[in-house]
Amino acid sequence: MVWLNVLVQGILIGGFYALFACGLSLMFGVLKVINLAHGDMAVVAGYVAVFLTPHLHLPEVWSFLIVVPIFTLVGYVLQRTLIQKSIDRDPFTTLLVTFGLSVVIENLLLEIYSANGQTVNIGDLIAKSWHPASIIYVSYVSLGVLGVAVLVLFILQLFLSKTGTGRLIRAVADDREAAQLSGANYRHIFGIAASLAFATVALAGIAYGMMTQFAPTSGGVNLLFAFEAVVIGGIGSLWGTLVGGIALGIAQQFGAHINPQYQILAGNILFLVVLALRPQGLFGRRTSLA
Amino acid sequence: MSEEGISTGQNARRVLGEFEFGRRLGLQALGVMAASGAIASLTDISAAHAATKSGTIKIGYVSPQTGALADFAGPDAFVLQQIKASSYFSKGIMIGGTKYKIEITVKDTQSQPNVAVQVTQELINSGVDLVLVSSAPETTIPVATTCEQYKVPCVSTVVPWEAYWGGFTGATISPEGAATGTGPTYNSTFFFGIPQFVGTFVPMWQRIQKQVKCNTNVAEMYPNDSDGNAFRAAFAPTEQAIYPNGGYNFVDGGAYTDGTTDYSAMIQTFKTGGANGAACDLFINCPLPPDFQSFWTQASQQDWNPKLATVAKVMLFPTDAYALGDLSNNIATDAWFTPYSPYKSSLTGQSAYAFAAAYQKAGHGQWVQSMGSTYALFEIAIQGLKKVHNPHDRLALAEALQVVNYDGMCGPVNMNLKSSNPMLSSPAKGIGIISPVGVQWKPGSTDLVGHHKYAWSQWVVDNSLNKHIPINGTLEPTNV
Repeated sequence: MVWLNVLVQGILIGGFYALFACGLSLMFGVLKVINLAHGDMAVVAGYVAVFLTPHLHLPEVWSFLIVVPIFTLVGYVLQRTLIQKSIDRDPFTTLLVTFGLSVVIENLLLEIYSANGQTVNIGDLIAKSWHPASIIYVSYVSLGVLGVAVLVLFILQLFLSKTGTGRLIRAVADDREAAQLSGANYRHIFGIAASLAFATVALAGIAYGMMTQFAPTSGGVNLLFAFEAVVIGGIGSLWGTLVGGIALGIAQQFGAHINPQYQILAGNILFLVVLALRPQGLFGRRTSLA
Repeated sequence: MSEEGISTGQNARRVLGEFEFGRRLGLQALGVMAASGAIASLTDISAAHAATKSGTIKIGYVSPQTGALADFAGPDAFVLQQIKASSYFSKGIMIGGTKYKIEITVKDTQSQPNVAVQVTQELINSGVDLVLVSSAPETTIPVATTCEQYKVPCVSTVVPWEAYWGGFTGATISPEGAATGTGPTYNSTFFFGIPQFVGTFVPMWQRIQKQVKCNTNVAEMYPNDSDGNAFRAAFAPTEQAIYPNGGYNFVDGGAYTDGTTDYSAMIQTFKTGGANGAACDLFINCPLPPDFQSFWTQASQQDWNPKLATVAKVMLFPTDAYALGDLSNNIATDAWFTPYSPYKSSLTGQSAYAFAAAYQKAGHGQWVQSMGSTYALFEIAIQGLKKVHNPHDRLALAEALQVVNYDGMCGPVNMNLKSSNPMLSSPAKGIGIISPVGVQWKPGSTDLVGHHKYAWSQWVVDNSLNKHIPINGTLEPTNV
């Protein structure tokens, strides 16, 4: 029963990692951009949720209705301006630009909102849980986040495989030049992919704010976990990202069960083992998406 | 300073079961100094020379105004404004027949030890006569060790004295928790240490055990960092030394990493790790504030509801309680300054109550306990300056500061007290012990300071260590 609980808690936290990683996975899979500001973007989403929604007389739990559309737009604009400009130069520039963005965001947040921690207030719900069996308690918030992660990945998967725009995104991801020769406006396609990625980042940021406290510098550690989830699952595979996130969560819980000292270490070891034995990740297929 | 040297030093200390934390920060400080030391020491000498003739006393104040520890420095602007308005600071001070003006320079560490060293060097290069520093070992140790290196007087506060003492080369803590070895010459500090945490928390545990059904299993949540390792090494042994018949069974949740967001494994340990597989009904910790928030909400999700939570390092300030909302109800912590103390300013005679009320009236929100300790730093500076003939004589000023004995905003501070009461006695010359009280977070009331009702306020519920501070709230279980 103890080990079952470890597994359950691992899957729950893994759902959050997957949600957090899915934007990173999209950006890397389609744009070939490692967005080092990914974690900070999520933190910004948290701040927007906390500081904007009260002005709209909306409970913070519904803040995603506002924040997700904003981020979808921001993602498109940011892609068409800053990120595209750096893609046009070389991959190193995108690393530098997103790193710079990360530093700027952290310091701006610090300047505007100070270093105080913030949470997305969801009232009593945060402390509630479902108690299916003896020692197993399933937090409603974590369960909700896992559900959202699965739903988001399912919708994205459906979008990429069934719609015209989705097929264009996959085409551009597979072979940009060939897609361009066939008449695809890859910059616009990149913009759409980035706006999708940013929409998921907004959800992840709000979820993080509900689950725990965030501060201007909280983005970094989550970026690391998201990156590990993407690599474990396989770069370019969305379902892989879900599996990668859950695998990371379970590994961390197993480590923590032995000793809390090993919680993060166990996740890192899994990451290294996957990198060593299967560098393309569990579900990776070299350069394809979906 | 090589990495190898650092790790060997740490291992040696770990074997002794001592506080490695302070030492590590001290070594970091030395490392940063080594990098910029050559230039700094050259300019330092000329600056110091110029300062000996100046008619101005320069005081540097260092605190973490931004970053993770920013809450500690929240009242800085208000306190400095009050200090500067007081007569010594606005009109000047007579020392040895000469009138000196006092100038205060404020520096921010950004909550980072290496920045703390840099800003201290800047202060020293600008010729300060004295450095004051507050808030957490990450701030005070690098500043104190830098001052010691450059032979500049320094007074620190809001740092457990064990961590302070352990930060200096040659100073050690014995397995019994006594200050041994050679202490610093230019430094002094006032705060309290592990025995006072024990003396504040354990009486509350005992009282709760009389009120409700509550076992003796104590859950310990200590991170794998400086403070965490210090508590892990010292809290349980000190408790057993002070209360040999306490019968408490400590359950260590394990040395987790700061910034962990999922605590389900540790909570599971606390639910079943007590004697005979019982849950732990008492809880003590010293985590970073965001980590405590994650832990505490997850404990509630996982249905672990300790009868009494006595926390250290978190829930000190109202922002922590506002962030947790209802989950902060009846969490207990320590308070080293409260508006309800019978203490008053040695500079203006203003009472602690009036001081806190003025803070709230000035629109800074609810009073915070670090306002008292920061205020006291400047009071102590004046106490030291009054005892010397030349304020630019650094050694004389440092010696005067190490034996400061006065009554002020944080109550009586005697840096060299030889008392039969181990809870009050100075562990070494230059370490003043103030006595905290136990407080609990409860919904605010218009009966409290300023007659303004805040969502959450600290109520004094236990004064076992300091009978001068009246109790104004009832100790209640955190969870029934």
